[in-house]
Amino acid sequence: MSSKLERLLNLTAALLDSAIPLTADQLQRRVGGYPEDPTARHRMFERDKVDIREMGVPLRVEPNPELDPPIDGYRIDRAEYVGSDIRFEPDELAALHLATSLVRLDGAEGGLVKLGVEFADDDSQIGRVPFDDRLATLVGAAAERRSVRFTYSGTERTVEPWRLSFAKGHWYMSGWDLRRDDQRLYRVDRIEGSASDIGEATHPVGDTADPRSLRGWELGDSDPIAAEVRIGPDQASWARHVFGEVSEAADGSVIARAEVRNIEAFRSAVLTFLDHAEVISPALLRDDIISWLEAQL
Amino acid sequence: MTARLTAGERLARLLSIIPWVSESDGVPIAEIERRFDYPREILLGDLQNVVFFVGVHPFTPDQLIEVTISDDKVWIKYADWFARPLKLSSLEAATLLTAARAALSIVGDDAPGTLVRALTKLGAMLGGEADQILDVGLGEAPIAILDGLRDAIDSGVCVDIDYYSYGRDVATRREVDPVRLFSDQGNWYLDAWCKLADEFRMFRVDRIRSTTTTSNPAHHNAVRSGPSFEPSDDDPRIELTLDHSARWVVEQYPCESVTESEDGRTVVVLAITEVPWIQRLLLRLGPAATMSAPEGSLPDDLVPEAARKVLALYGG
Repeated sequence: MSSKLERLLNLTAALLDSAIPLTADQLQRRVGGYPEDPTARHRMFERDKVDIREMGVPLRVEPNPELDPPIDGYRIDRAEYVGSDIRFEPDELAALHLATSLVRLDGAEGGLVKLGVEFADDDSQIGRVPFDDRLATLVGAAAERRSVRFTYSGTERTVEPWRLSFAKGHWYMSGWDLRRDDQRLYRVDRIEGSASDIGEATHPVGDTADPRSLRGWELGDSDPIAAEVRIGPDQASWARHVFGEVSEAADGSVIARAEVRNIEAFRSAVLTFLDHAEVISPALLRDDIISWLEAQL
Repeated sequence: MTARLTAGERLARLLSIIPWVSESDGVPIAEIERRFDYPREILLGDLQNVVFFVGVHPFTPDQLIEVTISDDKVWIKYADWFARPLKLSSLEAATLLTAARAALSIVGDDAPGTLVRALTKLGAMLGGEADQILDVGLGEAPIAILDGLRDAIDSGVCVDIDYYSYGRDVATRREVDPVRLFSDQGNWYLDAWCKLADEFRMFRVDRIRSTTTTSNPAHHNAVRSGPSFEPSDDDPRIELTLDHSARWVVEQYPCESVTESEDGRTVVVLAITEVPWIQRLLLRLGPAATMSAPEGSLPDDLVPEAARKVLALYGG
């Protein structure tokens, strides 16, 4: 009996060679290497189908037109197998190699051996980014303009993904929510279960908010309140991280400005700095902090 | 990658190797080995004992692939079915696109044109435009600080840093022997030998206020691995009972256990390595959390003391 590898290669060759769909029986006879026993034979063939599909081989199921009555057969469309005509030049492959050696994608196992580009697995990788199949589905949907269905915060959503962004340690997806008829931003790790493709997207891609610039206190429904916070010199760099742009005073302390739509989130952010941050204005937000603190004395 | 490859892993490689080798007039075995991470013995065995017998019905010599191995090179002929490689799956293309976008955010303006071209092609393979569908931010830290640290690592010298320690709420200036910069969970970190503490420390780059390169040669280049937060068994453990609005604690702090109370609130156990950070957390949470700590493990007036300190700013 031939090896599994030989059988899978022969199966792929047979499928690529034939212009018409071949039935399971025809394929098994042409490829060879399948056992006599019908049950074992069927089981082995089913496993082989799974194996080549997992590799990305586009295996189609279509009726064989030469049989009467027609029986479903299998076929690989050559154009679909090869995909686009795009090919990487050697220097581009080298750049991709460099990229994969700089960044580790947690959850994306295995090398991209199809291109001859290997994921490095050592300490020289300087970035870590989580990654999984669901994310790949969403990236694919954004690229091909598809809509997807998933469960989020306990409710089912139908969304046309626009863009995936990794920011502040999380993946975000922006897109058009079909049921809410509005633009939305989702945390990908809060999607429950998988996302399934449900068809073509129809809404034009809009301007997406950059999650890197989104601050917790900006996520609210009320009218924005302009606030100013003074932060001590030792925390200036961190203040930039939390508030974005800041202006520097002569003593090294900085003034941060915020558009507050969510007072709780703003209060929490300011208190992270303990006594190194003071809300300067407006009185409404100063008073909020004061009464919050007084309640904890 | 291990020396053992499954049939599927070998198939995936061969579907690319066969067209690639067919196109050229002899490819060194060592190059296939390296590019496709294919251990030599397995590769040779597969080429001679498997690929050589691959073809289509009726498997007469004219319907078989021809493999020739000579002088450490391999030639493949008559592999018409495998004239072109199998396309990347969308998972593979998305993975590469993510790695490339992340790399772009590391190298910034120095990005080689080859990386940008590769990105464009990956986007097109997925059916879109690479810069429209995905972006990766590895962390926000001042470019000048990152550059200063990178230069110090490259030239093997120590660097003075002004560092604000969040846990202890103090700012200090210290000389460190920088070993490596890396990004994890959206933040940049510096791994360095700290001369102040006389041990390896991990520093959050966004809390480094300034850096000054010294002329002192660096002596450490070993990378310490392990998490940045390592409580010891002696550190007190506290239990926090959280309202729904305070659930974010679970995601942002290294909780040692997370359970649900009878009334549906969330109960977490945290190790307390430094007092200021728990003080700060409790101050932010206010009535949304209740703490229970072993007696005498933490000062009684932890929260009121912090509240008084901050209120002093407001003239209170």
